[in-house]
Amino acid sequence: MGINRRKFLQRGAAGAALFTILPRNVLGRMNGNKEFIAPSDQLTRGLIGVGGIGRSGSHFISDQNCRMVAMCDVDQKHLDSAFEAAKKNWNETVKTYHDFRELIHDPNVDIVHIATPPHWHGIMSVEAANAGKDIFCEKPMTRTIGEGKRVEEAVKRNGRIFRLNTWFRFKDTFYGLGTDVKPLKKLVDSGKLGWPLKVRISGATGFTWKFFWVGKENLEVQQVPKHFDYDLWLGPAPFKPYNAHRTHQTFRGYWDYDGGGLGDMGQHYIDPVQYILGKDDTFPVKVEVDAPQQHSDAIGTWRSVTYTYEDGCQIILEGEGYESPGKVPYIEGPKGKVYKGFECTIPNVQEIINEMPDPEPRNTDYLDCVRNRRQFALNESNGHRSCTIVNMGVCALRLNRTLHFDPKTQMFIGDDEANRLIYQPMRGEWQNYI
Amino acid sequence: MRKFYSIILSALLLMTVALPGIAQDERQRKPETIVQDVLAQVPVQKQADYNREMEDLAKGAPATVEILCKMLKPVEKAVNNKVEYAISGVVNYACANTKYKAAVRQGLEASVASAPDAATKQFLQEYVRFIKDGRAEIPAYKNHAGAEPYAQQWDELKAAGANCAPIVIKALKSDDRALRMQALKFANNYADAAFVSQVAKAYNSLSTDAKNDVLGWIGDNKTITQLDLVIKEIQKGKGTNAMAIETAGRLGTATSVDALIAALSTDYKAEATAALLAFNGNINERVTTALKTATGDLQLALLDIANTRRIKSASPQVFELINSSDATVAAAALKALPGVVTKENATQLAGMMDKASGEKAAIYQQAFTASIKGMNAEEQYKVISSEIQKASNKARFYPALAATNTDQSVADLQAAWQGGSTEALAALQKSSNYKAAAPLLAAAQKGDETSLKTYVKLINANEGITKRVRLLDQALPYAKSADAKKVMLSSLGNAANRYSFDLAAKYLDDKDVNYQAAAACKNIASKCKADIDYKKLTESLNKASAIYKAHGGADDGYAVDEIKKILAEVKPGEIYKLTDEEKKAGYEILFDGTNLDKWVGDKKGYQVINNEIVVSAQYGSSGNLYSAEEYKDFVLRFDFCFTRPGVNNGIGIRTPQGVDAAYHGMCESQILDHDDPIYGGLAPYQVHGSVYGVIPAKRIKHKPLGQWSSEEIRVKGDHITVIVNGEVIVDGNVREACKGHNVAPDGGNSNPYTADHRNHPGMFNKQGHIGFLGHGEGMKYRNVRILDMSKGKKGKK
Repeated sequence: MGINRRKFLQRGAAGAALFTILPRNVLGRMNGNKEFIAPSDQLTRGLIGVGGIGRSGSHFISDQNCRMVAMCDVDQKHLDSAFEAAKKNWNETVKTYHDFRELIHDPNVDIVHIATPPHWHGIMSVEAANAGKDIFCEKPMTRTIGEGKRVEEAVKRNGRIFRLNTWFRFKDTFYGLGTDVKPLKKLVDSGKLGWPLKVRISGATGFTWKFFWVGKENLEVQQVPKHFDYDLWLGPAPFKPYNAHRTHQTFRGYWDYDGGGLGDMGQHYIDPVQYILGKDDTFPVKVEVDAPQQHSDAIGTWRSVTYTYEDGCQIILEGEGYESPGKVPYIEGPKGKVYKGFECTIPNVQEIINEMPDPEPRNTDYLDCVRNRRQFALNESNGHRSCTIVNMGVCALRLNRTLHFDPKTQMFIGDDEANRLIYQPMRGEWQNYI
Repeated sequence: MRKFYSIILSALLLMTVALPGIAQDERQRKPETIVQDVLAQVPVQKQADYNREMEDLAKGAPATVEILCKMLKPVEKAVNNKVEYAISGVVNYACANTKYKAAVRQGLEASVASAPDAATKQFLQEYVRFIKDGRAEIPAYKNHAGAEPYAQQWDELKAAGANCAPIVIKALKSDDRALRMQALKFANNYADAAFVSQVAKAYNSLSTDAKNDVLGWIGDNKTITQLDLVIKEIQKGKGTNAMAIETAGRLGTATSVDALIAALSTDYKAEATAALLAFNGNINERVTTALKTATGDLQLALLDIANTRRIKSASPQVFELINSSDATVAAAALKALPGVVTKENATQLAGMMDKASGEKAAIYQQAFTASIKGMNAEEQYKVISSEIQKASNKARFYPALAATNTDQSVADLQAAWQGGSTEALAALQKSSNYKAAAPLLAAAQKGDETSLKTYVKLINANEGITKRVRLLDQALPYAKSADAKKVMLSSLGNAANRYSFDLAAKYLDDKDVNYQAAAACKNIASKCKADIDYKKLTESLNKASAIYKAHGGADDGYAVDEIKKILAEVKPGEIYKLTDEEKKAGYEILFDGTNLDKWVGDKKGYQVINNEIVVSAQYGSSGNLYSAEEYKDFVLRFDFCFTRPGVNNGIGIRTPQGVDAAYHGMCESQILDHDDPIYGGLAPYQVHGSVYGVIPAKRIKHKPLGQWSSEEIRVKGDHITVIVNGEVIVDGNVREACKGHNVAPDGGNSNPYTADHRNHPGMFNKQGHIGFLGHGEGMKYRNVRILDMSKGKKGKK
């Protein structure tokens, strides 16, 4: 049945009589009323990486809309524990894999869920797209700008549905900001704040940069645990002698795998700003950093990272302990400011917003998008854009200088070294994958 | 002669400054010295310093780089970090300052072969790659797994570029939606009006599914030139109507409004409503016009839209329809009222609200409140208070009254609540005026948790951290439900000090709210871990970490990491011991870090935290801490540290308890952060160390906040000496300073003999306590010891 299922999904929902295509709101209503979903209508998911975010409550799920059928990890302990949990939680005997390539090519898997450290996201997404799978990828989208371009290309080339997993651009209170994004978007669109705008992502506006994610220098060489395939964990990353601090959870403190608090939280915080400012089709043209010199391997902290767009809009990231003093606006324009909790200098702002139309509807049901082959609201294109902003900051921090970016070519201007950080060589066989 | 040389020397210096880029070190240092100097600076903290240090290295390349590379040890020796900073730094610098590039690269390349092991070699090779000449390599795209058929179409699309319309049309004829979507998505790059029209020519020959795809695509590209097609599909489509409606909303031109309004009367009412609510343009005039003639379901739908989109021009119709004989219409109109009213309707609405039957009152209240929104608060209050006079149902005005947030509104509502009106209390709970805090707290005391929550919201918005925590502490007993406790804990978590930590930590064992307590403790500790007692901090955070682990959500792992980091950064305090010299001299420890057993007085305002005496104004302490013993002649030694600018404290000498030591003790030696700008006009007899009001002190510059200073005060007879960080700043005799007149000879209040012209009746006390004289939080003492020079000679009281 596996092969037939796959064919069915590759050809898209329209091929099946069950799916006379309706707009998603109608379909959503229909599905919402259903008690039971036929197996042919059920999607399946394979999860790569079951140690961290993959094992968290919101991701370690299986239901009649989307069944978890396979899992993969290079730490046998994580894999064993996840296998048992799947049995216990959903009475499901999932296939387990050590090598993600086998999971991706498992014909029973429709959606590949990538929950690994970021240095794998690019290769796995491209491989899944090439294998005709749809992709649900955790943030940050990719560790380098170059990998992001490749993912965008591979997803389009293979007609896949890609979701980058952060969600504040369409739902939930936005971390400590005390409001969701919708009223902010409407306020900005109203023009009442003026233009250009300055957005401050700072402890003072409700965001923490998780400076506990720093690396350690002078790591001693340790024995690799027997249950852990360090070589496959590293994959495309340069080989460095094993120390446990490089891996599980604390990997975020090393440039080879992630980008510290900026790398790991940055897309959560910056992606909604791209949406609010209406910048989904472009990039900032300049990034400046104020930071202590960074180590070549272990990530440190920083004081500020400032992005400037061509029209003068700015995103300013303020490091922990370096927040602007006093009352700090989240968005500041020449005509007004908006603070945490949607406190605003513009009188009667709520009424102004009420009088405006809602923002354009977006496709925010991923499974529905998979079934109907519609692009998800946060996808390979706008996801790549917001992730690129994070990665621009990472490059500037590592080089400790101001960088200028060309949104058209997606390369830094007049800085070959910075451009070498855009395309970083992959180790060994992995250079053939992306 | 000497003069002549110095001129030449300055000229040379000037030349060097004027000629940057001379390939030699200005300070004539050898490469080895440059390397050592830079290694002492890394990691460099500021960009300007970094550039200067790295330029030094770059100018000395290749020699400096080769020296650095030779310093790399095999990684198992694990000591390379400084060298790594220097090498990566100089390469990064040279890449941006290309005149140094060749020399730095030369040094690097020469060293790769002699790297001590594979890992260091790889480190060097990475930097060789960075500093290579030429553009960055962009590897070719690899289609590793080779999928069909999408990749094939993709290649065709890319090859065709702007001429891809035929491929798009071919794809649209396929029954594979993925193929169609890929083509349409690619075509977004070229989808101007002409291109879309080319594709639209094939529209009629497409399947229903494909038609839907094209309609969605027209919406994506905002192709208003296809409006006719879209409107036609709204009206006559078969299976495409809903998508056409959504697209029309996104296109947002005036003519599509009428089509959407018409669709409200069809099976697609829900879709049409959604499209009008999100309509990208002005719909007010059309909706108002349509409402004039609409009937039935259309009328109801339009009322709903008029309300949600705040279409004020529809208000005459809405008022009219309230009185409709059709009950459904009348109810819908009433519901729409708050959205369409303006301040012109205020008086009319006030009357309607007053007279409305019970179940309608709420909606009139909303409408009245909405109608006065356009006025400023004072105007609003004026209108309400004049209407309330006339009204028989006065309580119905309370919500609007509260919404003005004026002081007067709070006073009125408070009076009404005290008169027994529960509606007034409900209204107070909506006020954002801080004056409402007092009545809300009173209601909270009586068990009303809604009032408690609003109270907390108000203190969050209006009080600084210290006071907020004190108020929360007082209000905590009133939080009985889990819900109320969560509100308290969230507020505590945002008011970081050691008191809020203690308060939050108490809830770590409360299973209803332990997760919120863990979050509060973590947040507080991350901001002020150093202020919290080490033992309490570690115990509570370990508990919090276990709670997070058990919770197991997406962000919980992050919290566990954060707690781990905090715990790694704290350490237990130090126990202070006498030096050998002090032991020999006969000193006694008065405070070694463990307890205040040798002290009496305000032990709330003076607490031992991490083996330091921390002074705080928390809980309105009476302010002074006294030595349990009295002393005559002595040497007092202690360390002090300011943690807040402008802190004021003092050392009481030979003072009774509970009096102002500056006057009723022998004296007060001032402890004061006099560097704070608020003390610009300070008299010399008020600065740090001064015998307050009597003998001036030499004005010193204090160490930065958070750093410790040592102080010694020697008192012998009438003589007093104050030494700070080894510097004598007071050395004088109080009796001589006032020429023997500690009080005015004429018995009056003005004493011409003292610097502050006041009487100091206690000045000639023979003995008394030593006191820390508190004036608020923000400073710490530690390591207090005393040499009692009168031991054995004094008679105890």
